[in-house]
This record gives sequence, structure tokens and C-alpha cells, in this order.
Amino acid sequence: MNSQVLADFLANELEAQKVNAVRERRVAAEIPVAKLTEAIEALKEKGLNKISAITGLDLGDGFEVIYHLCNDEGVLLSLKTFLPRENPSVPSVTDLFPGVFLYERELIDLLGIEVEGTPHGRRYPLPDDWPEGEYPLRKDWKGLSKE
Amino acid sequence: MDLVLKLSYMLIFPGFLFLVLYAMACEWVDRKLYARFQNRVGPPWFQPLADFIKLLAKEEIVPEAADKIMFRALPVVALAAVLTSFLYIPVWDITAFHSFPADLVVVFYLLTIPTLAFFLAGWHSTSLFAALGSLRTLTQLFAYEVPLLIVLMGPALLAGTWTISEITAFFVANPGLLAVNLLGFCVALVAIQGKLERVPFDIAEAETEIVGGPFTEFSGRLLAITRLVVDIEMVVLAALISAVFLGGSFGLGPVWGFLLFLLKTLLIVGLLALFKSVVARLRLEQMMKFCWKYLAPVALFQLFINILVKAFLV
Amino acid sequence: MARIKVPIGPQHPALKEPESFNLVLEGERIIDAEVKLGYNHRGIEKACESRNITQCIYLIERICGICSHSHSTTFVQAVEEIAGVEPPPRALYIRTIIAELERIHSHLLWLGVAGHEVGFDTLFMYSWRDRETVMDLLALITGNRINYGMNKVGGVRRDIDSEQARLILESIDLLTERTEYYIKVAVNESTLKVRLAGVGKLPRETALSLGAVGPTVRASGIPRDIRKDDPYAAYDQVDFNVITNEYADVFGRTLVRIYELLESYQIIRALIQNLPDGPIAVKAPRKIPAGEAVSRYEAPRGENIHYVRTNGSEFPERVKVRAPTLANLASIREMLKGGFLADFPIVIAAIDPCFSCADRMIRLSGDGKDALWDWERLRNYSIDWYKLRGIDFSNR
Repeated sequence: MNSQVLADFLANELEAQKVNAVRERRVAAEIPVAKLTEAIEALKEKGLNKISAITGLDLGDGFEVIYHLCNDEGVLLSLKTFLPRENPSVPSVTDLFPGVFLYERELIDLLGIEVEGTPHGRRYPLPDDWPEGEYPLRKDWKGLSKE
Repeated sequence: MDLVLKLSYMLIFPGFLFLVLYAMACEWVDRKLYARFQNRVGPPWFQPLADFIKLLAKEEIVPEAADKIMFRALPVVALAAVLTSFLYIPVWDITAFHSFPADLVVVFYLLTIPTLAFFLAGWHSTSLFAALGSLRTLTQLFAYEVPLLIVLMGPALLAGTWTISEITAFFVANPGLLAVNLLGFCVALVAIQGKLERVPFDIAEAETEIVGGPFTEFSGRLLAITRLVVDIEMVVLAALISAVFLGGSFGLGPVWGFLLFLLKTLLIVGLLALFKSVVARLRLEQMMKFCWKYLAPVALFQLFINILVKAFLV
Repeated sequence: MARIKVPIGPQHPALKEPESFNLVLEGERIIDAEVKLGYNHRGIEKACESRNITQCIYLIERICGICSHSHSTTFVQAVEEIAGVEPPPRALYIRTIIAELERIHSHLLWLGVAGHEVGFDTLFMYSWRDRETVMDLLALITGNRINYGMNKVGGVRRDIDSEQARLILESIDLLTERTEYYIKVAVNESTLKVRLAGVGKLPRETALSLGAVGPTVRASGIPRDIRKDDPYAAYDQVDFNVITNEYADVFGRTLVRIYELLESYQIIRALIQNLPDGPIAVKAPRKIPAGEAVSRYEAPRGENIHYVRTNGSEFPERVKVRAPTLANLASIREMLKGGFLADFPIVIAAIDPCFSCADRMIRLSGDGKDALWDWERLRNYSIDWYKLRGIDFSNR
């Protein structure tokens, strides 16, 4: 599936917004969080068999989570979803891609985004004695207070 | 006068003092050759001695949960065992310092004591890695000990005696028969590589898996002694193999016989170093398989040849 | 049989970087493995947000000592895509040459580490000696053995002249010969083979579902290589094969890496012979316009991916780095289960976890002014230092 076909599929079948074939082999699209699991499942069936990374961003008034999916032809899709500032939460995709649990833990630890259904495990990447409620990648985080 | 001579034999030459120094020299030869085979420069000649002195000067830490007495005593027990065993092996003469019927069996068991001592020491140090290493040490013992005993039986059978001095004397009288035991010599080399816990049989102290094996918790003087024990064990085993399979010093007298002794032990150390540098470490179960499936049958085959030779030629 | 729990790490002789594995053992068999990571977390992603793009290149280059060029190239590619800067062809060729030299040194290093992990120190010493050849090349071209500092937005910082090109080709010939010897060793040396074959199995389906990358996934029969799938730099200009095999074990991963070395030599030869003329960099704007880009790169260990978002100011809004090791760590548990304790070091090593190595350049401040020591002077200094202590290295 090349990027144009993928872009059409996203726009027509999955009703994703702002579908954009940025350049050769790069596609970006936005999707509401409620449709995320469904969309990723459909994309997996279409040959996007790997989540290369999950990026979380702090937009100030909310969060953005980008799933970087790719297929064997080198096409990389950045599937974006937006979360509110209060109680941000995304569903876990570990059922579809068991290898991504570390990427999801990064969201939990560094941005404080809840990931529903991600397997329990030890803390990553922050140390075990890191205080509650301190999320370093949030823009308003100014470092741990010295005690 | 006799007592002074005997004491000097035991304590100075070729007993304790000489043995310690020669063991260090052999360690250097081993390390230097190993380094040259690996395209490295290798240590200077005094390195083993320097290491020994450095370790003596280091702090000695005994784990809190360890059995203090056992932990300290076992390295010394191992040292005593290897030093004693050397007294039964001929050096420049055909006869050894002390010899009695069936001393080959005694030497064989004296040389098992270090292994057992290290097993117990590792076990008593209560470290997880040491305990795992100790179990491996003991498991390994069952792999190499049987082939080694079987091949030692070969020359003993030919000579019709279990006494090391008499075996040497037999081969000095019939040097042609040395060739019969060539296969046995090779098996013995492989087996003592296991006994000394060197690559490919350094499973018990595989540093990338279980840190230091039984020696994980050893430090300072105790570590210096354990290392010395391993070095001396190498010399004693080389001397034993040389006496049993290579006719020892051929009874050439103090000067030439002694030089021949040095030459033969160094040759064996060199062969061990070569062997060590061309193989990778085996897994425990692979070593068991190798020793029981290949080494023991070859040893038995050698014994069979010896029986035939004994029946028809001698 | 009683189960025991063995803590491996955070500090352990088999691990070259702090990681913690809790192995549950039944005898010598591994029943389960628990992985704890994050001991090396340095907050680089956060630190990038308070540095300008140029500073970020240098910071990102220091994520890893071995694949430093991978990280800086990936980042620079993303920034160039946002800014719409097209580096000249010669710059792309030089970037690719450095990338392949880096792959060679990384794979040779891995081969040595793998040898050490299975107790085959001779292989370790041999391959690290040969690795010095390529380290010297890198020092010659870039001035550094690691952390080359070659990349800038819009091109590279140093050119390769004809004398250097000749030296590269000469060294490559030598390395080809050595690598063919290593293939013989890996295939024929029986103790090495029994330690590698059948160990750390990662079946094709598992590798796919866990999203493994690099030689790990290629040894499971999946031809996943960013250089082919999503060509960057000058990889669309050269012809090479993606090495795969079906062994799906540590032996397969070893073969993939060794044969990849041969491919790298071919790539470098082709690039040097067709090195286009022209400038090595174009001028890039100081301020990068707002935008975002995802950049991918086939590092020696597998796919390296950076996501960069800029906001029009000097500082990037967000830099996301996903190093190949993180993608492969999910597979570690699968590979360890059911194996032997003795296989643990080589299974971990077989994904080639990243670790840093020290910089060779030192700054001495003694007699009032700083003196910068070059490689030759450092080498002579160490030779003299040892000579005073009775060891002569000078004739090597």
C-alpha cells in the first residue's frame, strides 16, 4: 500500500481528519481517541504491521499522542489523537502490538497520560522512588523541588 | 642431616618454595602464550608475582552470613592438598621423594581435594553466584574425573603397577611403549583442562554468567591463595601427566633430568594454553555430553589397546 | 526442583550498561525473566527543548557512543525536511560513507563482545584488533574515534579528499579479507557453533508481533531494513543486498551481522568510486520554520526513529527519540524463556544493546595553558609511559 492509497483509505474508510500525504512514504492523519483502537486494528489488517514509536506531546491546553505506524514498503503513518488536559487517557494497543508496552510506559511516566489496559510492570523510564505527580515532559514542569 | 635434607626437599626445593615460584612462572608462560595467540602483547615476567603481592596487601572481606572458619580454612586445605601431592611425583629422578604402592590413586584423590574445597568454600560464602558456581564445580567433577582416571589406568596397566615411580621406571626401560598411549595423553590433556576449570570448561567461574563462580566473595589473601592453588595444581597435573605418559625425566640425573622435567611441564602448559585460545566456553550440559559421549569412550578404547598390547607384546 | 531468583544487574560483568534482569531459574533453566530499565535515562528529550537546533545536534550525537552518527543523522534529516533544505549530493555520499564505517565498527565490536560472552576471548581480541583499522579511518576523516560531529543542517562539516579515499579503499580490502576469515570461524569452529545455534529462539511470527528491528528481525527471516524500505541519504544510489536468514537464533544473528559487513564494504567501495563533486553543505536558515517531521534510519542495531516538531523559534518544540534497542527489548523475554543460565549473556548481547565508549581526546591543563593532544601524541605518550615500566609497544 503506497502513501496515496493509504491516505485515501484513511479519509474514506476510517473518516480520519486532516489526512495529508506529507511526502513520499510519509502520511499524517488525525483521529478522535474513541476511534483509535478500531482504526489501528483496521490499519494493521491493511499491512501496517509495526508501531515504530509512540510520541506524546504537551500542547499546553491538552495532549497530543502520535502513533507512528509503518508497513513493509517503508510507508510511515503518523496517526494523531488529542486528549484533554484533565484526566488524559488513551486505550492501550498492546493487544494488537504486544511490543509497544515500553512506549506506553513512557507516556505514563513522562507525561502522566493514563493508558487503559497496558500490562502491569515495573516502572520505566523513571526510577522507582520518583515522586507521584511529577511528569518531566510536561511543559509546565520546572524540575523536582529540592528537599 | 637426613632430616635437614628431607625438610629442604619439602620446603625449599623442589617442594614448597620452588613449586610456588615455578607455578607463577607457569602462569606467566600460560598468560603470555595465550596473549600471543590472541595477538596481544601479554604481561611482563613478574606479573603473577606482582598480582600475588598486590592481593596479599588488599583488604580481606568475609561475607557476614558466611561460615567464617570454613571460608578461611578451605583455601589453605586446598593448598596443603596440592603441595602434598607433588611429593609423590618424580622430578629429576625416577623415584619421587616419597613413594609407596598405589600412590597414583592417592595423588589422584589429593588433586580432587581443591575442587571439593572450592565447592565448599563457594557454598559457605552464601552468595547466590558462588552457590551456583559451586554446584557447577561439583557437576563438572563428574564429567572429567572418570575419563581422566580411565586413561591413567592405561600406563598403570602396561607397567603392571599403581606406583608413579614404577610407571616412570617402566617407560624408561621401554621407551617405545610411550607411543601406545598417545591417544590417552590427548584425553588426559582435555580432562585436566576441565580439572583446572579453564576454557572451554571454565563453566564454574564463567564471569559473564555468574561473576566469579565459587570465588565471587573471595578477596585479599584468601583470593591470592586460591589463585596460587590453581597455579600449583596446573604444575602438579603437568608433572603427573609427564611422569605417567611421557616417561618423566628419563632418570637423566639432577641437571639434565631436571631440565627435561621443566621442558615437558612447559610443553604441557603450552598445549593447554593453545587449547584454551581456540575454543569457546561450553555449557554445562554440553560439557557433560562431550565428556561422557566422546571422552570416556575414547579413554576406554585406549584402555582396550593397552590390554591388547599387554597381552600380546609385553 | 526449587526455583531461585537470580538478580543480574544493574551491575554485572555480562552487561556493558546498567540494566536489571531478574531471572527465575529452575536448576540451570530460565523459567521467567523480569526486565527493569531506565538506569541510563538522562532526560535528553527534555534537555533538547531548552537548546537550539545546533546544540541539539551535539547533544543528540551523545545519546550513544557507538551509533552516534545514526542519531545525529536522523535528527538532522528531520530538521532538513522541516526547513526544506536539500543537502548537496556529495554531503549525502559522505554521510552514507560515515554511516557504513560506523556500522562496520559497531558490528566488529559486537562480534568481539559476542565472543567474550561465550568465553571465546580469542575472537574478542581478533575482531577488536581489526576494528582499530576502521576506528583509525574514522579518526582520520572526522577527527574523532566516536562522536564524529560530521553532521550539520544542510550537509556535512568535513570533506573526504583523494588521499583519504585511497586509504579507505585500502583498509576496506584488508577488512574484507579478515571478515571472510570470521565467516569461516563462525561456521566451522564447533564449540562456538554449539554455543550459538538454537539459542535465543525468536520465531518469525513472534519477531513480527513484538516489532523487533535490525539484525534481530532479519535473522528471523524478515527483510526489514530501512536502507531499502525507506531510503535516505545516498542509499538509493547504491546496490546492496538485505541479509536475512531463517535460523531465528543467535547463530543467525551472528551470520547476519558478519555478512552485512561484506555488504557495507561493497557500499563504501561504490560510494567512494562514484563520489560526486561539488559543495559539502548548503546554507541553512538559523531559524527553522514551524513544522514536524519523522525521520528513520537503519542504525547498526536496527531502525532508529526521531520525531521532531518545531515552533518557529530557535528551540524545538519536541524531540522524540526511539533507539533500536528499545524496540528489541520486548523480544528479550521471549528469547530468554526456556534457555539456560549460561545462554543469558549471549542472548542479551545478540540484540546488541547500546553502550557508550569513552572519547579519546583529552584536555590537559597543567602549565597554565591548555594543550590539545592529538591521536599520534597520545599514542606516543602511552608508549613512553609503558616503556618506563619495562614494556615496549613501539614495534607493533
